[in-house]
Amino acid sequence: MKAICLILGITICLWVSGAETKGFKFPEVTGWKKSGEIQTFTPKTLYEYINGAADLYLMYEVEELKVAEYQNEKKASVIVDVYRHKTPVHAFGIYSQERPPGGNFFDIGLQGYYEKGFFNFLMGPYYVKISATDTGTQDQEVLLSFAKKAAGNLGEKGKFPPLLASFPEKRKVENSETFIAKNFLGYPFLYSAFTADYELPDKKFKLFLIERSDKKELGNMIQRYLDQTGKTGKVAVEGRHTFSDPHHGEIDLCWKGHYIWGIINLNDLALRSNYLKLFEEELKKRK
Amino acid sequence: MHKKLIGRRDFMKSTLAGVGGLFFLPSSEWKHEIKIVESRGKEKKFVYRTLGKTGLKLPVINMGVMLTDNPSLIRAALDSGILLLDTAHGYMQGRNEETIGGVIKGRHRDSFYIATKIGLPQNRTTGLYLEGATTEEFLKRLDISLKRLGLDHVDILYQHGVSRKESVMYEPILKAFEQAKKAGKIRFSGVSTHSNEPEVIDAVTDSKIHDVILTAYTFKQKHYQEVKKAIARASAEGLGIVGMKAVRGAFQQQPTTQNIVASFKWILQDPNVHTVIAGFTTFEHLETDLAIMNDLTLTDQEKLELQKEASIQGLYCQGCRQCIGQCPEKLPIPDLMRAYMYTYDYRNVAHAQDLIGLLDLPNRVCEDCSFCRVKCAIDFNIPKKIRDVARLKDVPSLT
Repeated sequence: MKAICLILGITICLWVSGAETKGFKFPEVTGWKKSGEIQTFTPKTLYEYINGAADLYLMYEVEELKVAEYQNEKKASVIVDVYRHKTPVHAFGIYSQERPPGGNFFDIGLQGYYEKGFFNFLMGPYYVKISATDTGTQDQEVLLSFAKKAAGNLGEKGKFPPLLASFPEKRKVENSETFIAKNFLGYPFLYSAFTADYELPDKKFKLFLIERSDKKELGNMIQRYLDQTGKTGKVAVEGRHTFSDPHHGEIDLCWKGHYIWGIINLNDLALRSNYLKLFEEELKKRK
Repeated sequence: MHKKLIGRRDFMKSTLAGVGGLFFLPSSEWKHEIKIVESRGKEKKFVYRTLGKTGLKLPVINMGVMLTDNPSLIRAALDSGILLLDTAHGYMQGRNEETIGGVIKGRHRDSFYIATKIGLPQNRTTGLYLEGATTEEFLKRLDISLKRLGLDHVDILYQHGVSRKESVMYEPILKAFEQAKKAGKIRFSGVSTHSNEPEVIDAVTDSKIHDVILTAYTFKQKHYQEVKKAIARASAEGLGIVGMKAVRGAFQQQPTTQNIVASFKWILQDPNVHTVIAGFTTFEHLETDLAIMNDLTLTDQEKLELQKEASIQGLYCQGCRQCIGQCPEKLPIPDLMRAYMYTYDYRNVAHAQDLIGLLDLPNRVCEDCSFCRVKCAIDFNIPKKIRDVARLKDVPSLT
């Protein structure tokens, strides 16, 4: 009896350490059967499935990946990858890293897009990637039917991060918004930044926005940036700062309350001021 | 039963090789050129090795771009003296190649090298290609990659993520490589591998088709000695060897500057590795990685760091055998640690039990000493691990 308990104990320990599941039901699609077991990957084992690409997903706090493979009678196959991230913002982050601004978008989940051979969509903390092989001319139809059913099984579709609404609309490139979780602009002290691209006939630039509930964090970001750009001794205060960044050129950055916002790749001073003001006005509308 | 047991003993013997002490080579075996180059206004020491028969002279540190969409960082890497940018058709769903395309636009084509990878549908379990993996699809993806990069050719094109020898010899892809080379769309061909590397590397070497191998190679691999052997053979046949995943395991513990530097130095100790791709995402890490070239020799402190990390990552001992003779009960500590590894790392309780059965342990194990006299070189709590795994001797055979 003691021996059985011991074996059971060890087995349960091993099982618990490798499994952290939530109740997601993979879609059932007419004409398609699951081939093999559903696979589950954790942050520790994600490398086994997506190799080096795992690093990027880990930066966006992936907590679990579940994978199911399907086949039909013609031996075509579909793979459904369901990534669950720590928060919807992290899921948006990785989704936005891969989303093509000019994609073929669909209202599946919060948003999804189709390209030949795959359909990706975002839904709350989930990033779902569906790929198909040998589906021929029915590729889009097959992927959409899987995507719709998978989305239907994931509950609430969620919302885009509310902060995105504060980006000025003027000349903003549609679907260019991203969330950079770490090392924004290549600096470890800048993080959790939302960005959006802007395009004028002769200019392309980027606006960014960081929100932190603790103002000290923002002060620290400014201070570190001042130190980084050789303005050691200057104390970080709320207001507008212009940095001569050795890598990014001149960057204007504003700090007020719980927000830092700024512009990259725009030399035109007047235009910079204009956009910073527009941004501030939008932020004022936030409660 | 007898036959089966011998099989397990062989298995244990073979895996023991994988848990031996980390190898550290003398620097005299390195074949490289050293140059002082001007890097962003400063003089820096750069170490170059030749990428096998390609003849490309590359710094030993290059950039794996996959983790960043920051064009300024890629630009800084090139301006600093890095020559090779490594990407893939699938990274960031193609956005990664587009970002590189934006950076290299306008730069002289001779001032950088681009390596990209193309993967085709594989059976996830077997690693074999599916029916949709055709020559046409491969070439179509190559054209898309070239368009994203804004180039008419890439310097190295890899067959992405190969884990089986059969896949190395997969006819439709070999045909695609041949056509792409003929059309001038690639200069050199290669294979990238992240699992079952020794088999894949050997198959590439035997095929005599390719020019370069991109392989995962890290001290944290249980089978790094087999990888090392396969690399040596490939390199002797003239293949260029690019190492990756040198700093693997960010998910398990925060990489520190010390362990990043030590990890890169470890892989570059192998003279058959011609360059490594580093996946830095900050300017600070770019500088740290480049500074490795100041001195590739591992310090004693770095060696210790590697030993510790290897143990943390895999929960198993490194077989340094410094504990031998320290236990007053003469317990075979390295063997017991191996049994622990089988149980918790390999999750193979039956193997662990077989091993425990062979060790002739006393009835009470690690229960009677008031303190443990054994000092583990990497600070394992040895009595705790021994008590844990020795329980298996009281369990009826699982086989």
